[in-house]
Amino acid sequence: MKILVTAKRVPDPEQKVKIKDGALDLSGANFIVNPFDEYAVEAALRLTEKVEGATTRCGEVTVLGIGPKDMSQQLRSCLAMGADRALLVEGSDEGLDSEQVARVIVAVYQRERPDLLLLGKQTVDGESNQVAQLVAGYLGLPQACFACTIEASADGKSVVVGREVDGGTETKRLPLPAVVTVDLRSVLPQSVRNQQTPATHAYPEGPRYASLKGIMASKKKPLDSLDLATLGVTATPRLKLLSLEAPPQRQAGVKVESVDALIDKLRHEAKVI
Amino acid sequence: MAPFTIDLRELKFTLFEQIEIQRLLEHEPFRELARDDLDMILDEACKLAREVFAPAGVAGDREGCTFEGGKVRVPPSYHEPFRRYCEAQWLALNHSPEWGGQGAPRCLRTAVDDMFFGANIGLNLGMLLTPGAAHLIEAFGDEALKQIYLRRMYSGEWGGTMCLTEPHAGSDVGSVSTKAIREGDQFRLEGEKIFITYGDHDLTENIVHCVLARIEGAPKGTKGLSLFAVPKYRVEADGSLGAFNNVVCTNIEHKLGIHGSPTCTLNFGGSGPCLGALIGGEHQGMPAMFQLMNDARLAVGLQGVALANAAYQAALGYARERLQGPDVERFKDPEAPRVPIVRHPDIRLSLMRQKAYAEGCRALVLYTAYCMDVARCAPTVEEREEHAALVELLTPICKAYGSDMGFRVTEWALQTFGGYGYLRDYPAEQLLRDCKIASIYEGTNGIQAMDLVARKLPARGGANMLAVYKRVKAFIEAQREHVALGPAVAALEQATATWSEVNRALATAAMRKDWLMPLLHASPYLALCGDLLVSFMLLQQAEVAWRRLVALCAAAGVDPLDGAALRRLATSDDEVRFYDGKVKTARFFCASELPRLHARAAAITGADRSALEIVFNGE
Repeated sequence: MKILVTAKRVPDPEQKVKIKDGALDLSGANFIVNPFDEYAVEAALRLTEKVEGATTRCGEVTVLGIGPKDMSQQLRSCLAMGADRALLVEGSDEGLDSEQVARVIVAVYQRERPDLLLLGKQTVDGESNQVAQLVAGYLGLPQACFACTIEASADGKSVVVGREVDGGTETKRLPLPAVVTVDLRSVLPQSVRNQQTPATHAYPEGPRYASLKGIMASKKKPLDSLDLATLGVTATPRLKLLSLEAPPQRQAGVKVESVDALIDKLRHEAKVI
Repeated sequence: MAPFTIDLRELKFTLFEQIEIQRLLEHEPFRELARDDLDMILDEACKLAREVFAPAGVAGDREGCTFEGGKVRVPPSYHEPFRRYCEAQWLALNHSPEWGGQGAPRCLRTAVDDMFFGANIGLNLGMLLTPGAAHLIEAFGDEALKQIYLRRMYSGEWGGTMCLTEPHAGSDVGSVSTKAIREGDQFRLEGEKIFITYGDHDLTENIVHCVLARIEGAPKGTKGLSLFAVPKYRVEADGSLGAFNNVVCTNIEHKLGIHGSPTCTLNFGGSGPCLGALIGGEHQGMPAMFQLMNDARLAVGLQGVALANAAYQAALGYARERLQGPDVERFKDPEAPRVPIVRHPDIRLSLMRQKAYAEGCRALVLYTAYCMDVARCAPTVEEREEHAALVELLTPICKAYGSDMGFRVTEWALQTFGGYGYLRDYPAEQLLRDCKIASIYEGTNGIQAMDLVARKLPARGGANMLAVYKRVKAFIEAQREHVALGPAVAALEQATATWSEVNRALATAAMRKDWLMPLLHASPYLALCGDLLVSFMLLQQAEVAWRRLVALCAAAGVDPLDGAALRRLATSDDEVRFYDGKVKTARFFCASELPRLHARAAAITGADRSALEIVFNGE
């Protein structure tokens, strides 16, 4: 199975957000792979690798990133996890909206023709949760978003996906090629299996850590750059950023004298009762 | 329990901005590595330490080791992290690729171990000893031994230990009485070893002990000791496991800390023949052991450093959250809002001291590890020898000062938590307990001080000391007029002059054959050297940080000498905060801690002998 996984770089959520002149200031940001995309890479590796005595891998994994040149660092960390090669479409961190990203992915899909397009359900910076749905629409492919389980069929022609929906899990069989996005639970020990994974096999929970061999090997794996012109993508952004400001600082509270005063404030000032 | 925190930014600053370990990558055998690789390795180690090692660190302390039916078990929570660590090939990060290692610099290994020790010292001790023992076999063993053991040990399939101590041979290694009796081309071992870290456990199927023993008829003292590779299970010619080799664990110790690390009493040959192979030549055990000991001593200093940093981070996290009392400016106003304790001057002073020692000692240990690499890979003989000289002098200081000040920092950190620090619900008490051992094992800190004064200082005709002096002096010459650090550099200059005076006093005493004076004052002398070197490290950091700070301030249109404006910028910009913190830490240390050096010096040069002359009750 040939899998194309997308990976976006996002500012480390543990760092303080800086705002300068009405825009995010990413100059000192420490970038990481969007966690949901890391889960997608993990799922792709589980769907293609040999485990417990299998002799061959059953597929290959290509990671696609869109961002500035030094995003190659994040792509390399995906290669160090075990992906086979990476593609970097050069662009900026800011000003990419879902429409543009979707158009880029569609163009790369058409060059690469993977069997499965795997994405994180959303990024932790923009949180728009639109890209996979747009891509599936533009390509006319079946889609299953928010996957918590993925299982490849024995003939490798379809995948069975458990989707997290309100109140439970919905199971879908998708003929390939298809678009799937993964949710948090896809990294549980037995969530993803390929046609040769034994039923008893359990992975450590979470996206895998790169081994030292993986880190050294990642230098030798192909990492190719593409630009928008080569891909023939000219989509203009549909989203306009009007303004951006930090949430107001929380004001100190006041002590009320009595329960009545509290009720009065809740009723007339806060207007919540 | 607060999560374990690593300040990776600080660690990388020390490695790449202060010491500039990337310079190593210009030389063999490190040319294969790029700066990016070092970053990735540190990032990955940080994740594994934080997410996998740290949770098992707390659990392992509670579970402890067990000894039942002759079997030693490590805490159950250790198995999964051990497996994942070995699978990702961390065990032999800095060892030879020829035998399955990754060939990275020693200083990178040290930085990585800083994180693993901080996250889980009980487990990481096991990770230290196995490659250490394997390295002994690699350096001194014959080809057959290497073929049998190295790959299995560097991969973590088999464990390894160092067996020196016996009930009557602790600091006095020369009185080791374990016997080695020739039997064909092998030796039969008989004796008992105590305090053997990871001497027995259930993490690996076999354990290879490096045992110091005396061949029958060998001279007394350290000159008659030989080193042997003694497996728990014998190894067949085809490499498979054979019969039990009669290495029997008879006890595990119940300790103040490092509860997850099994400390074993091992009996060799008491239950039947116990066979071992000679590593290196007959009676050549001690020179071989010394090589490993220097390495191990630096690693123990690092343990102090790692736990100090973990404790400081925990204390800082707590001080930011814990609300107690009003701001001092409004202490009489009962309506004033409660503020986090980090706002109180007394807490700030303590946190500053914690930060200064934790980060200053870390820099010293990393710098010493870097010198080990340079001593190995520099292109010229002069450079190699000069760095070997630095390593000789700095190693006992790293070990003793790193572990002593590391322990102090854990104590101050515990104090920051107030009453809660004394409770198991918070991490400080475990860090304090775990840290104490570092001043004791691998040669007590008293032994380190004697090694410094009696061996390392006079060695090479004083070249060790001169190599350090040259560097400190060059820094002072270059930075005397520094706009932001001038007074701190002046304090370093004074301290250096005092250090030289003390060195002269020690040399004079030695010339008069007054050996007792230097030995009596060995520990305070080592502490004095530590104070001096930590201030030097912190100032080096501050000098780099100041340059960065000036550039950042220029970009933001702020005058870096305008305290109020700088503080405002530091509150909103993390990089400014970081570099400004480095500058202030160095200034603090030179102004508030370094003066103590002169008091130490006065005590040494005063040469009071009362401690020698007193008759203790019952003596």
